[in-house]
Amino acid sequence: MFCSKKKSLEVERIVKANDREYNEKFQYADNRIHTSKYNILTFLPINLFEQFQRVANAYFLFLLILQLIPEISSLTWFTTIVPLVLVITMTAVKDATDDYFRHKSDNQVNNRLSEVLIDSKLQNEKWMNVKVGDVIKLENNQFVAADLLLLSSSEPHGLCYIETAELDGETNLKVRHALSVTSELGADFSRLAKFDGPDTKLMQNSGKTKFKRTSIDKLLNTLVLWIFGFLVCLGIILAIGNSIWENQVGDQFRTFLFWNEREKNSVFSGFLTFWSYIIILNTVVPISLYVSMEVIRLGHSYFINWDRKMYYSGKSTPAEARTTTLNEELGQIEYVFSDKTGTLTQNIMTFKKCSINGKIYGEVPEGMGQKTDIPKKNEPMDFSVNLQADRTFQFFDHRLMESVKLGDSKVYEFLRLLALCHTVMSEENSAGQLIYQVQSPDEGALVTAARNFGFIFKSRTPDTITVEELGTLVTYQLLAFLDFNNIRKRMSVIVRNPEGQIKLYSKGADTILFEKLHPSNEDLLTLTTDHLSEFAGEGLRTLAIAYRDLDDKYFKEWHKMLEDANTLKDERDERIAGLYEEIERDLMLLGATAVEDKLQEGVTETIASLSLANIKIWVLTGDKQETAINIGYACNMLTDDMNDVFIVAGNTAVEVREELRKAKENLFGQNRSSSNGHVVFEKQQLELDSVVEETITGDYALIINGHSLAHALESDVKNDLLELACMCKTVVCCRVTPLQKAQVVELVRNYRNAVTLAIGDGANDVSMIKSAHIGVGISGQEGLQAVLASDYSFAQFRYLQRLLLVHGRWSYFRMCKFLGYFFYKNFAFTLVHFWFGFFCGFSAQTVYDQWFITLFNIVYTSLPVLAMGIFDQDVSDQNSMDYPQLYKPGQLNLLFNKRQFFICMAHGIYTSLALFFIPYGAFYNVAGEDGQHIADYQSFAVTMATSLVIVVSVQIALDTSYWTVINHVFIWGSIATYFSILFTMHSNGIFGIFPNQFPFVGNVRHSLTQKCIWLVILLTTVASVVPVVIVRFLKMDLCPTLSDQIRQRQKAQKKARPLRSRRPQTRRSSSRRSGYAFAHQEGYGELITSGKNMRAKNPPLTSGLEKTLYNSTSWIENFCKKTTDTVSCFSQDKTVKL
Amino acid sequence: MKRTSEESQSRLPDNSALKQQQLPAYRLQLTATGVLSGFFATGVFCLGVGIILILSAKSIKEIEIKYTKICGNCAKLREDATNFDKECTCSIPFYLSETMQGNVYMYYKLYGFYQNLYRYILSRSNSQLMGTDLKDVGTCAPFSRSHDGTPIAPCGAIANSIFNDTIILSYNLNSSIPIEVPMLRSGITWWTDKYVKFQNPRSKNLSIAFAGTTKPPSWAKPVYELDQEDPENNGFLNDDFIVWMRAAAFPTFKKLYRRLNRIQYFTEGLPAGNYSFNITYNFPVTRFRGEKSVVLSTLTWSGGSNLFLGLAYTVTGAVTWLAFFSMMAIHLMLKDRKMFFTQQ
Repeated sequence: MFCSKKKSLEVERIVKANDREYNEKFQYADNRIHTSKYNILTFLPINLFEQFQRVANAYFLFLLILQLIPEISSLTWFTTIVPLVLVITMTAVKDATDDYFRHKSDNQVNNRLSEVLIDSKLQNEKWMNVKVGDVIKLENNQFVAADLLLLSSSEPHGLCYIETAELDGETNLKVRHALSVTSELGADFSRLAKFDGPDTKLMQNSGKTKFKRTSIDKLLNTLVLWIFGFLVCLGIILAIGNSIWENQVGDQFRTFLFWNEREKNSVFSGFLTFWSYIIILNTVVPISLYVSMEVIRLGHSYFINWDRKMYYSGKSTPAEARTTTLNEELGQIEYVFSDKTGTLTQNIMTFKKCSINGKIYGEVPEGMGQKTDIPKKNEPMDFSVNLQADRTFQFFDHRLMESVKLGDSKVYEFLRLLALCHTVMSEENSAGQLIYQVQSPDEGALVTAARNFGFIFKSRTPDTITVEELGTLVTYQLLAFLDFNNIRKRMSVIVRNPEGQIKLYSKGADTILFEKLHPSNEDLLTLTTDHLSEFAGEGLRTLAIAYRDLDDKYFKEWHKMLEDANTLKDERDERIAGLYEEIERDLMLLGATAVEDKLQEGVTETIASLSLANIKIWVLTGDKQETAINIGYACNMLTDDMNDVFIVAGNTAVEVREELRKAKENLFGQNRSSSNGHVVFEKQQLELDSVVEETITGDYALIINGHSLAHALESDVKNDLLELACMCKTVVCCRVTPLQKAQVVELVRNYRNAVTLAIGDGANDVSMIKSAHIGVGISGQEGLQAVLASDYSFAQFRYLQRLLLVHGRWSYFRMCKFLGYFFYKNFAFTLVHFWFGFFCGFSAQTVYDQWFITLFNIVYTSLPVLAMGIFDQDVSDQNSMDYPQLYKPGQLNLLFNKRQFFICMAHGIYTSLALFFIPYGAFYNVAGEDGQHIADYQSFAVTMATSLVIVVSVQIALDTSYWTVINHVFIWGSIATYFSILFTMHSNGIFGIFPNQFPFVGNVRHSLTQKCIWLVILLTTVASVVPVVIVRFLKMDLCPTLSDQIRQRQKAQKKARPLRSRRPQTRRSSSRRSGYAFAHQEGYGELITSGKNMRAKNPPLTSGLEKTLYNSTSWIENFCKKTTDTVSCFSQDKTVKL
Repeated sequence: MKRTSEESQSRLPDNSALKQQQLPAYRLQLTATGVLSGFFATGVFCLGVGIILILSAKSIKEIEIKYTKICGNCAKLREDATNFDKECTCSIPFYLSETMQGNVYMYYKLYGFYQNLYRYILSRSNSQLMGTDLKDVGTCAPFSRSHDGTPIAPCGAIANSIFNDTIILSYNLNSSIPIEVPMLRSGITWWTDKYVKFQNPRSKNLSIAFAGTTKPPSWAKPVYELDQEDPENNGFLNDDFIVWMRAAAFPTFKKLYRRLNRIQYFTEGLPAGNYSFNITYNFPVTRFRGEKSVVLSTLTWSGGSNLFLGLAYTVTGAVTWLAFFSMMAIHLMLKDRKMFFTQQ
């Protein structure tokens, strides 16, 4: 037996089953899964290589090399190597830990056991040792860790059900069919390994995740380049200065310091000086910047992981920051793209209400006076009498049960229909309990409802359905199954009950079904329509329910025609559709069901709050338009107050364009009556319209479906779409493919320059999660794909609010503060060298002691700023949640941008001036208290260093708005550390051991005991800090930001009472919409009637409905075509050659 | 839920204040009262200190005599390095109109001498100066070894360029007989320099200890013969040498040379009268267009401070006060404006 598969490199792969020797000739990859990067031996070289590929590290390596050239070296080598080694070690440790965990998870997967047929014996083998061509026996509920070809199974017709949760996150079972030739082979699942290890579909699809960077990162790169430019400018100025100085002054100074012959040229001296100053001034871009940022982000990530308010106890899932490099981006989100199913909704359908024969049953919302007589309405009904009842089912209206007890025939018929007209499969588990295998949760809800009210669907064969009706088993003969499809929007069954009556039961979209009703239903129709709009208004998914009594003769004629039609080759589908239409008429309306596509908890509030924060939420869903709109209304994204809801559903490019144009005209028409801005060029138009956008008042919504989107995403209409969409308050894209989801995200991302976030739970969201700036996965589901691709994951949509408004906002706020301070600090620290250059003949003499330069950034000043970057809070988390407007500065990029950078730079330059010139003035012609000279270089260095440490500490103290114990310890500790290190390095002992390394002996003792030096330090501090305080105070007084005001208010009413929560009220709108719900794929009807999916113990009876072999294979093909959205489809096996 | 309670317990994040970001903390807020009173206090303080500093700086008596031009012939002689063995002296008479009360210090002051050049400042060997390893001249370029490879002691550019003028102050009590004003050489160095940083090699005889080394090229005498009168003041422990070796931060600097020994006529300080400096002019400054001077000065509580610090304090204090008043005015004006909360 040979298998082959088309692949980009391999044209085909020919494998001999169970022949390891033969297969080994091809050197296929083994089945070991490697996600880890290093092993013990390769760690050091590979990791170092990777690290030095980073620009910053390479730059510092370059500096280190420069420092080793004696002519240039202006700093000793340790000033660079100590921080560099520290930074590299920290990164290496982090990488090593990450990789260790990857090793662990790899081993776990690789060491799972499988049963492999080796030497005609089944042997236990680890999955990692499975080879291409091995025949594997799988049992129920086993993990599969390779791509396999199904040879045979214990199920009839070689069917097997697989769950692809780890692949695509879908937990429903998928049917796979063995080749008919091999299906007879064995009784157990046995499969042939086709692709192993790195060749498997999963590994192939996992792809290289794009390395995401935050906008701050990008800004930082630009700024760092600018700083380099600035550095070079300073270097050039100083080099020119040096050349001139050497020419004018230095020349005559040679007696005391003669030059070697080759260095006599003053231009050459300037050239050397340039490099020397590059080395000295390199601290403007401190090496610790990047590592500090990583530490801060890591801290923020841990806060996300630790947050109990984002922990979902239902699934015991904490939130998880899977990427630790994007946190501050969470504070800048402008667009959120959300999946629907499983993200906004729970993917749980609950039977909420029904209308039977004009009477409404179900939970009644408060405030509807006429129906408040329901007893104990907040208590769910007790179904314990019914032993078969599903315990999880809850219904709050006792009247329905009473009606059942009273024997209302319409109610019986209603429930009977629910128990008969569906595609559910039943199964008994080991405890003897009835389990339903549903392929659409809507149906499951309906069948379960019928079950709890006493109409228990027990089992089915291809042509019977057994229902336990209030205790008695009744078997219906299934005469025909009129399957669901998208056009029909309904499904029907025709059954014969034991009394011999033939009935057609139908359920479907109200709009469709109501046209098929018998005219006598008119009164009931109006009543039911009212009920339906009430249901729809509450965001429920509705179905209309109807039946028809058929007489024997009519049915037989019809059935004959159906059989004829079935054998036709041409126009078969059309004929069958026509026949279905024919019989589904004159229906008698029974009522309607309302199933709640349960929104996740807090979705409405979250969406309202995020909208207040100016975050636009787009729903991208694979669902149908109706379902999507329904959910839009349910979570208040669409309301009746909206001025207009544009629906784009054209099928051709022209139609789409026209629809977009109309929508736009409409939009502008209502805002500016006369506009002829359409002639301008596209780009200008975009700009123009972005101005217009601000002026557009009123709420609009756009709903666009996948077909139209495909056309709209073409380049020429793209801008129109984007423009329109961005002006709408709500955008819903329905029936979109995973690729389109990603395209929409990319569109906004690229053309709007906005920060995007995509949130989803399933495999179909992976592409969008990967292409958005930030991807969020809903975890706690069985599927992992979305979570694995995501940057952040949590269990409930509502945690998005906290993630963005609290964690994101804080992260952004902290990171911006951190960066501002860091640049300020380093400018202040470094630029004194520049000023000093003018007084030391531009000789690249540093102002500070070399040790101080080494330790300043990594020891003396690193921890306070880190503590601020990790812990600072301007307002509390509660306030952040209560005032979503606080989020806006992040979106507008206000806290750290180029302007802010220049402010920081100016601040730093000012401080460096104060730091240098106050001591300079004070040291001129000065003498110590005992007359000794204290204007020596070393005293000056110590004075400046001490002033600097004190000034930047005072500055960080001012910047820190949230003083925790840690901040206290770090700030005071840093100053204490500075002094203790200073005393140590200036001590006699250490000088005695390393006289050349620590020449500052005795300096502290002499200079720092002088009153005038302390006066200098004090004045420097005051002069540096006073202007900052003035500016901050005036800013706060003249144009306070919202957070300033909240803080002031907080302070004012500190102990009065907590701020009242300003949660927006959730409103329910009510409007007439068709909320019909069918979430399943067509084709299952055929599966049922063919009996393919039924156990052999219910042998298919030979009847007229049995399909030929030809038909059954065609069914498989059909089925494959229809399951296009599943990642691993059977279609790949279609290429199997026999 | 109950059956997974154990598992969920393990995944539930700790409820610690740190992990929930609920650490008790002081929220720093710039309040009007705080800032304004702070500014007021700072202003008062700075003005006070400034005025005190200015007054004390004014009380300092200082006399400075530049002698490069006065001793022009000597300066010219020194411009040619080959005249190093020719002695040149120069006498500068001056009149002290007021008594200099208390301790009087004599400094030499150099203009335009760059002791802070990178290569200059590094050109020394601390381990040699500690007396532990005389041969350690590695860091002394370009004055580490003589032409024949003998290590120089003390090596390096700083040592080589030592200020080697001798300045003697004479007091003409009666117009005829000048009295040499008694000066102390002790106490002009930092304690740590003299007892830690600079040490002679351990040996009874310094000349033996320094055997195998040679004197710096610009020196007239080897290091162990710097002071003929006081054998303790030789080698690396010579006070003038130690003072010189403490490199100055800026190209204009003054270094302590001698201090007044308050005996005989001078118990109260330097009385007013006629004085003269007798200078043995050795140190060439005209080569680099520098100047040198000799300074006599008294001190105050804050040492020999200059006016700058006092002025700077006064200005800062004034600015702070100005800011205080304007901020208060602005704050009072804006007190009743609309805010986010009042808008609602």
